[in-house]
Amino acid sequence: MIKAIKPIAQSALLVVGITMVCFGAMRGEADAVLAKAIRLCLECIGIG
Amino acid sequence: MSVTKLPKIMKIVAALMMSALVLCLAACSTPGGDKEKPAPDDASIEALIAEQPKNAEEATDLYNRLMQKENDILSSDKSLWEKVFAGANKDSSMIGDGSNYGDFLLATVEGAKDTFSADEFNVLKTGAEKIKKIEDKLAALKKEFPDCASTSGAGESVDAASAGMTGDAGKSTKFPSFKGKDLDGNDVSSDELFSKSKVTVMNFWFTSCKPCVEELGELEALNKKLAEKGGQVVGVNSFTLDGNQGEISDAKDVLSKKGVTYKNVWFNTDGDAGKLVSGLFSFPTTYVIDGNGNVVGEPIVGAITSAAQREALDRLIDQAIANSTK
Amino acid sequence: MDKRKNPASHRLSRLRGWVQAAATLLTNVHLPNFVKGGIYQGAGKTVCVPGLNCYSCPAASGACPIGSFQAVVGSSKFNFSYYVTGTLILIGVLLGRFVCGFLCPFGWLQELLHKIPGKKLSTKQLKPLRYVKYAVLLLAVVLLPALVVSDTGMGDPFFCKYVCPQGVLEGAIPLAVVNTGIRSALGRLFTWKLIILVTVVVLSVLFYRPFCKWICPLGAWYALMNKVSLLGMQVDRRTCVSCGRCARACEMDVDVTRSPDHAECIRCGKCISVCPVDAVRFRYGFSLPSKQPSQPCEDK
Repeated sequence: MIKAIKPIAQSALLVVGITMVCFGAMRGEADAVLAKAIRLCLECIGIG
Repeated sequence: MSVTKLPKIMKIVAALMMSALVLCLAACSTPGGDKEKPAPDDASIEALIAEQPKNAEEATDLYNRLMQKENDILSSDKSLWEKVFAGANKDSSMIGDGSNYGDFLLATVEGAKDTFSADEFNVLKTGAEKIKKIEDKLAALKKEFPDCASTSGAGESVDAASAGMTGDAGKSTKFPSFKGKDLDGNDVSSDELFSKSKVTVMNFWFTSCKPCVEELGELEALNKKLAEKGGQVVGVNSFTLDGNQGEISDAKDVLSKKGVTYKNVWFNTDGDAGKLVSGLFSFPTTYVIDGNGNVVGEPIVGAITSAAQREALDRLIDQAIANSTK
Repeated sequence: MDKRKNPASHRLSRLRGWVQAAATLLTNVHLPNFVKGGIYQGAGKTVCVPGLNCYSCPAASGACPIGSFQAVVGSSKFNFSYYVTGTLILIGVLLGRFVCGFLCPFGWLQELLHKIPGKKLSTKQLKPLRYVKYAVLLLAVVLLPALVVSDTGMGDPFFCKYVCPQGVLEGAIPLAVVNTGIRSALGRLFTWKLIILVTVVVLSVLFYRPFCKWICPLGAWYALMNKVSLLGMQVDRRTCVSCGRCARACEMDVDVTRSPDHAECIRCGKCISVCPVDAVRFRYGFSLPSKQPSQPCEDK
């Protein structure tokens, strides 16, 4: 019985993961990641 | 078994990585090794001074070449001169009084004599004397051809990358010209912006960079202080380039929260100035630009809130004011 | 040719060093930037790489998941990142801590450092330190950047700013070497981060992967996901002779026969190569109920 839960959890997490990526990208998080990743915020990585 | 073979290779790789790491650390712990060019010789300066331009064009050209020589002198012993400028900070009253810049340097060098060795003092003194001669010639040129200074280097465009991070210290490079708008939609042109101020401190930032936003308050205070000396602070938010409306309103939000009143401008990324900002990757970065539109010294990389960075900025500001008033 | 019962697993674990090298190169493919002194500014940086790899590294081809998470969470617009969390869930379910063992550049570096000959110390007595990394994940990555905010609603990326040694190694040092402006910006913060880096480097020579075991927030995340990962270890109870060699060979201090989905298992496959009867293998797929007995190999 317990064994049967794991594959369900795995498939559910895959669906949740894909949904979250899409939702996050839609509300502009992907752009925020790109904007920060292509600019070097000096203090943010310990230059300062 | 091939599994046992791998560690041996890895050991070698590991040793290489280690030595590379050590080299890296060693390299970055050595204090800024600036390459210093030899100072220009007397003969070449004398030759320039002896030249007599026949028309305004020639005068402008000669003016620029003389300025170049002056800058070469200053950049040839950069670290020494920086000490002189640091000393001059406290007594900058002489800069603005219209006297010969070489005289001002001579006096400052003379005043700080004890801080230099005999050799250093000699280098500085001969440098200052050369500059005095050049300045005399420049003054004569300006008398004869009043326009030769103001039109210097007009239309000259600068490679974006070289204007930014790689330019030689002390060498004057024009900040690439731009036509844009401030965040309220008013037209701004770089020529007008720079020429009406003795010094323009141009701060590049972006909205989600915390250290950039943190220093806005300090820049506002600096703007108030510079206003008294005929200077200004101008901000450029790299998110707002090309007039992105959403980003402009976000930026305005942050600016009003930080109480910033100085001008923030945007321009298009396809121009020379736009290319310079696109090529910029370190934030915040602060440029100091004199009244002729020339970038003074190296841009300050990182927040100006630390004492050392602030000192470097003040030095560049004084240098810019000196450039603009001579 | 290969008479072993689990040739694919053997091959994978044998090729691990090369996979690590290739993954490190792919994650940092823009090598000329080391000389030019810039960073890659293309759209590739929208995507998170699986391992811990600073996106301020001149050569970096993608975004660091931990850095990205903090960037989103710390911005005034968002308090949580669905985009990065979703990516981490996907990578976690698909690979789990296989990322640590095969794909993470910083994991590889620590392993290479550990190959430097000299005194080696065991971490078996230091198991409680494993829980530090969960605290790092929770505090430095999730909570502090979201909750400790300035008047403009912005938070500091605490992990990147104060902890991460990878950012110094890949970002600060190479950029400072070629860029005078950045060199003059180095101050107290950099000194502190350099001390961390040197400490991690020294500890890595003495211990096996100290950063992965104790500090890494990304490792902590994948450790949790190891429990539900499609990739896992499988021990054939019928062939296992309980010799204990796998547990003794494991440098992450895991007994694969007892807990094949242990949080600390980085799927390096050393247990596969030392097993005398080929009872250990990688498995991939949904964990469907099996006919195998669930109790461990009998104790000897």
